[in-house]
Amino acid sequence: MGYTNGEIAGIIIFFIGFVGLLSRKNILKTIICVEIMESAIILYFISSAFVEGGVPPIVPFNADKVADPLPQALMITEIVIGIAVSAVALTMFIHMYHKYGTTNWQKAMKKRRNK
Amino acid sequence: MIPLFFLVLAPILVGVIFYLFFKPKHRFIIPLFQCLILAATIINFLHVKQYNTYMETLGGWGRGIGITLKLDPISGAMVVLTATLFLAMVIFDYRETYMNNLFLFLFLSLEGMMIGIFVSNDLFNIFVMIEVSTIIVSILIMFKKDSRAIYDGMLYMMINVVAMLFFLFGVGMLYKTFGVLDLTLIQQRVAFIHNSQSLILPYAFIMTAIALKAALMPLFSWLPKAHATPSAPSIVSAVLSGLYVKNGVYLFIRVQKVFETHINTMDFFLLIGFLTAIIGVVLAISQKDIKLILAYSTVSQIGLIMMGINTGNIQAYWGAIYHIINHAIFKSTLFLTAGIITETYGTRNVYKIRGLFKSMPAVSIAMIMAIMGITGTPFFNGSISKYWISYGAQGSLAEFGIVLINLGTIISFVKYSTMVFGDSEMGRINIGLNRKFIVLAMGFACLGGGILGNELMRFLFDQYMVITLGSYINKIMIFLASLLIGFLAYHLVIKKSNILSRIRELELDFNSICFSIISFFLLILIYLKYANMRG
Repeated sequence: MGYTNGEIAGIIIFFIGFVGLLSRKNILKTIICVEIMESAIILYFISSAFVEGGVPPIVPFNADKVADPLPQALMITEIVIGIAVSAVALTMFIHMYHKYGTTNWQKAMKKRRNK
Repeated sequence: MIPLFFLVLAPILVGVIFYLFFKPKHRFIIPLFQCLILAATIINFLHVKQYNTYMETLGGWGRGIGITLKLDPISGAMVVLTATLFLAMVIFDYRETYMNNLFLFLFLSLEGMMIGIFVSNDLFNIFVMIEVSTIIVSILIMFKKDSRAIYDGMLYMMINVVAMLFFLFGVGMLYKTFGVLDLTLIQQRVAFIHNSQSLILPYAFIMTAIALKAALMPLFSWLPKAHATPSAPSIVSAVLSGLYVKNGVYLFIRVQKVFETHINTMDFFLLIGFLTAIIGVVLAISQKDIKLILAYSTVSQIGLIMMGINTGNIQAYWGAIYHIINHAIFKSTLFLTAGIITETYGTRNVYKIRGLFKSMPAVSIAMIMAIMGITGTPFFNGSISKYWISYGAQGSLAEFGIVLINLGTIISFVKYSTMVFGDSEMGRINIGLNRKFIVLAMGFACLGGGILGNELMRFLFDQYMVITLGSYINKIMIFLASLLIGFLAYHLVIKKSNILSRIRELELDFNSICFSIISFFLLILIYLKYANMRG
């Protein structure tokens, strides 16, 4: 396997999302980048619990290896939270667009200062 | 002993039931309910004071499988503080029209989440609670739908969500290493780790998020906006600045303890705390908006608390814990009085408000008492906790740093207290009895926390220190000297120079704040990699 596994991919995707946060001034793209980072974390969690040939720990099972179910359970919670966060963020973005008329963080900051 | 999960759930459930089935005119239920919660937290605190720690595993599962809640004397005191402040807040704004069902639901849920963060012992649970409270806080910030508040709330939420993603990544790495999420169990298993290098990455991830929550040096730019946004109700600002930041500091203490056998970052965070405090006071002095002065002074006090925690001395540590409580009391008093002032005067400009003492004596007395608390005037609560912190830092550079920070605090509050004097054409202003009562009670709590300081420390945390008359007089001398210097420095130098307006213009946008997050993360990584590894 070496270095080509899901965990490494998760770390790389996480920082790709972060580069988006650093370089994009568009608020919508910021929200998308946060989503990308969330997916990276989900990938990391799921693949960190991956066992080759493992089965779900549901009794009765006939295999020697069992995959740890907790990270998957955590990630279901995380997906729900992620949906809630992006829904709230998008709603706020719509309000902000109505008030400021821009999708740009810097322009919004300048307008806020002059208000 | 009241079950801990009940303390977390009850405020949320009461909020939901009130939202669904009651009318705003029935809101007398809420203060009564808050009294019950306060009584329950006090019972719990007395229990943990006797038996030291109390653990509770949810759902009847064993340790390491179910979610554990843990109460120890520090978190017990924090929970009592939370319940007290929320009781004060709902009484303070009892007659306001915006206290409708939705607001009360959000406010009570925030209380539940904050108690949850204090008592939770499970990393993922902490993550969920912080995430939910982030959403609630951002909605509370923009509750009145003012256009400036919408930008502030949006910025607050996005920044905190990004930081919590760092936290979650760190939790994932810890889970992969240890197979548990329970902080106590992780602490036991950390001792078995041979190679500390494998702890660096999760530590850096988690610490970045916590440092942002606690508003440390490069990561505090979201705080003033969130805490001092113009239209936010003053009780929201008071709770955010007095208590919510302390969640971050408290998590810092907890997480630091987990890693303490392998990772020693005391010097690093001592320096960061000092820089936070200095930058906080400089920015506080430069502001002219009263709520922003208070918000930046929160930043500097957090820096002082971090210095106390990281001195490595037991007195300084407990002094810092006591300062957390004191800061909650005086800062929320200041925010509440600032809310009354801005409502009656219709401006937030510190240079335009004059003659507070003539127009509202009761409020200004409470405000002056809180100011005396925060500047560390002898016999007020701030002086005791600052005495403990500087006693712990004796003989090191940090002691000078603390004197310097206090000088800065005094200058910023010399500027703030100019509002009290002079004449105003407002005449006497009537303020509701409930508001007067709350601010005065909290003002006198500042005095009580100073006079009974050592008794309180002994009662709450079993810590005792003999304060000799000589050393206390020494402190009083230092205080008076700094007061004089601060007064002169403000009136002769700072007021006239125009450097203030230049500092005031400094403001980071979203991308720069993200940049500061990543640079703090890399800073911790590099520091741990090359400077300070144990074992």
